[in-house]
Amino acid sequence: MRYLSLTLVLAFLAMPVSGQAFMTDSGTAEFESSVPLHSFVGTSEVLVGRIALPDSTVDFYLDLETLDTGNGKRDKDMKKTLDTDEHPFAEFFGKLVSPFDPDGGQQEARVVGSFSLHGVTREVEVSGTLEPTANGLQLNAAWELSLEDYDIVPPKLLIIKVDPIQQVRISALLTPESGT
Amino acid sequence: MRIALLLFASILLVSQAAAQMDRQRADPNRPVDELFWSTAVIGTSSVTNLSAGDLNYSIKHAFGLVSSGIENLYGVDGSANIRFGLDYGVRDWLSVGMGRSRFDKVYDFRVKANVLRQTVSGSSPLEVAVLGDVGITTIKNGFSFTDRLSYAGMLMLGRRFSDRLAVQVSPTVAHFNTVFIARDGDGNVVEEENTHIGVAVAANWRLNELFAVVIEYVPVLGGRSDNTTDAVSVGVDIETGGHVFQLFFSTSDWLTEQHMLARNDDDFFAGDFRWGFNIHRTFAF
Repeated sequence: MRYLSLTLVLAFLAMPVSGQAFMTDSGTAEFESSVPLHSFVGTSEVLVGRIALPDSTVDFYLDLETLDTGNGKRDKDMKKTLDTDEHPFAEFFGKLVSPFDPDGGQQEARVVGSFSLHGVTREVEVSGTLEPTANGLQLNAAWELSLEDYDIVPPKLLIIKVDPIQQVRISALLTPESGT
Repeated sequence: MRIALLLFASILLVSQAAAQMDRQRADPNRPVDELFWSTAVIGTSSVTNLSAGDLNYSIKHAFGLVSSGIENLYGVDGSANIRFGLDYGVRDWLSVGMGRSRFDKVYDFRVKANVLRQTVSGSSPLEVAVLGDVGITTIKNGFSFTDRLSYAGMLMLGRRFSDRLAVQVSPTVAHFNTVFIARDGDGNVVEEENTHIGVAVAANWRLNELFAVVIEYVPVLGGRSDNTTDAVSVGVDIETGGHVFQLFFSTSDWLTEQHMLARNDDDFFAGDFRWGFNIHRTFAF
């Protein structure tokens, strides 16, 4: 009887936590980079992320070798610049600090946490939108990223230097975590 | 005791909720870094291929012999061979290309296919590619179309051994439909062979993200044309982001695989080498 009641209590505790966590492994991440007279976009469709509403945890990461700029040679150069052998992921781990109503519509969302890239971790705040849908949570966010903040030397195309400020966008539909 | 267990379980659940996900690579069987920065080792082809949709423009340039001295600016004034090339990535594993060399006014057409990619997981330990090239000399000499043709076939076996070292071994066959028998200046008969078989050996040692040292040795196995020698080249690759520059010393002033294997007649260790450069630029379409 003691173990049964303990099991029930544990199950009760577990339900709200896992029941309100959302995941994706197929989100979209983009960066836009520019050199004089030219810009290009790198895209990945394998952004992995998880949002747990009970404790407001937000956890995202991207395998940087999945970024595709549409030019194989440039992709290889980019991976060298980012040193993806040593630091394969861009990752964020933090908290949703803005109020969120699971029954509301599209809402402004603000997260604060650690963003790691190229072996450097910095505290960042990112704003975006979060929208409950029939299939889960739709997340959209965009921010500027300074390569120099992460000890990344902007690559050069001959003597023309790539803009050290990159525009980053992510978009993902997070579905209720399986098993809930 | 029960309260302690509940407390422990609650802490466990909360900590699990707040824990980071395990970071997992999207493709554990992804290919290793490219073995060579460009599609050419120096004179011969490398296992590196173009990605689908990439167009690579290359200029290969080999000057006269350095041993010709200062009066010829160490070969710069000498007769230079130049090859302009265009290659296109049809698939990530397949490219087609064409080029035109100054010597013998040769147009050549090529296909390169990567049939196996070395993976970081070790599931595939080798990079394997095949190359086929057909050359057509367009000198006005009254020869028939068939007589003008030459061919090269290469099986390229490459392996990246570390972040710095990559090695390629390439059994190669070269065939010329037309060869000549002539007398040299001393009256000796010089006879050419139609077919040469060799094994090109190449290595790339990365010094850093910008520079790499490259060597290439193309020995002929078995019968060969008179007065020919094994081609040797030593160079430096410079990766600028967008362009790859190759600066080299080479015995060979021939710029296709079949000519390099069958026609080289200078001896590196006798001081008979020339300097040259290749430039590669890749565009995306």
